[in-house]
Amino acid sequence: MKTFEEKWTAWLDGQLSGRELSEFEASLPDKAAAEAQKADAMKLGALLKRELGALELTNEQFFNHELHGKILRESRMPSGEREARTWWTIPRLLWAGTASLAVFLVFTVFVVRDKNPAQESPYLTQILNARVDPVVSPNATVSMFKAKQDRVTILWTEGLQSLPADYAAK
Amino acid sequence: MRCSLLFLIPFVSLIAAGTPRSQGAQTVWSGLVIAENVGQPQPVPPELTRIEGSLKRFFGYSEFKVIGQSEKTLRTGQEDWLATSKFFALHVDARGESEAGYVLNLKLYKEKELLLETDAKLSKRSPLVIKGPQVGSGQLVLVLVIQ
Repeated sequence: MKTFEEKWTAWLDGQLSGRELSEFEASLPDKAAAEAQKADAMKLGALLKRELGALELTNEQFFNHELHGKILRESRMPSGEREARTWWTIPRLLWAGTASLAVFLVFTVFVVRDKNPAQESPYLTQILNARVDPVVSPNATVSMFKAKQDRVTILWTEGLQSLPADYAAK
Repeated sequence: MRCSLLFLIPFVSLIAAGTPRSQGAQTVWSGLVIAENVGQPQPVPPELTRIEGSLKRFFGYSEFKVIGQSEKTLRTGQEDWLATSKFFALHVDARGESEAGYVLNLKLYKEKELLLETDAKLSKRSPLVIKGPQVGSGQLVLVLVIQ
């Protein structure tokens, strides 16, 4: 069952017909005033259609409109969400890289270098001990040194028994 | 969470830098070399090229000729081998692997007579040279290099 307002709106829009139309018009207390209102409403509708029709946007206007909408949407976004997107900014990445490098250099220079400053480098060959048979070469001596230029470690013997040239054979 | 990531970067860098690399199998070249002064010296063998300067500077000879050699690939660090010439033999006994190289026991024999024995930690980057006995007008030199 339609209310009076629903029937009134439908009548203004010209959507009532037949028995429903005649019954509604018969129920109007002042049909002439109602007809006048209907005519005004139709005029207003025609005016609005004419004046407020869909505007055609140029490319520039469309771009500006989209941009404006995006800015509005982002400005309404919660601050935490915005922060989550932008935390790893280029400056922060640079700072993180610089900090990593600094820690690495500090470790390399101060910790590794001073670990055993008095010890020889483990990357040079070390002679642990050397023995010469005292019976065969009673006057022999051994000493050792390093040629740092070529990183060569040399065990130097003196006084070993000399041998004839035949011993140089392959 | 993000701050912890920021601090994680330096530590990952340190760990990566400090992790020792695995040594893997390496080949040791052992040579018996006769050093002599000759009029027209032969070029040094390729195994000795990297230490040619030191050899000439310390021993004062112009030619270095290999009379015996051996190449041994070490996998366990416990291998032993022999480099021989007609009269000399160098017995090398690997006794373990260290951070920078191998612990070796070396024995120089003249025929069956032990002339010299030494223990050394041979590093990959650092050859070992041993001055042996005088032979004629030259000098026997022992060289060990990790290739």
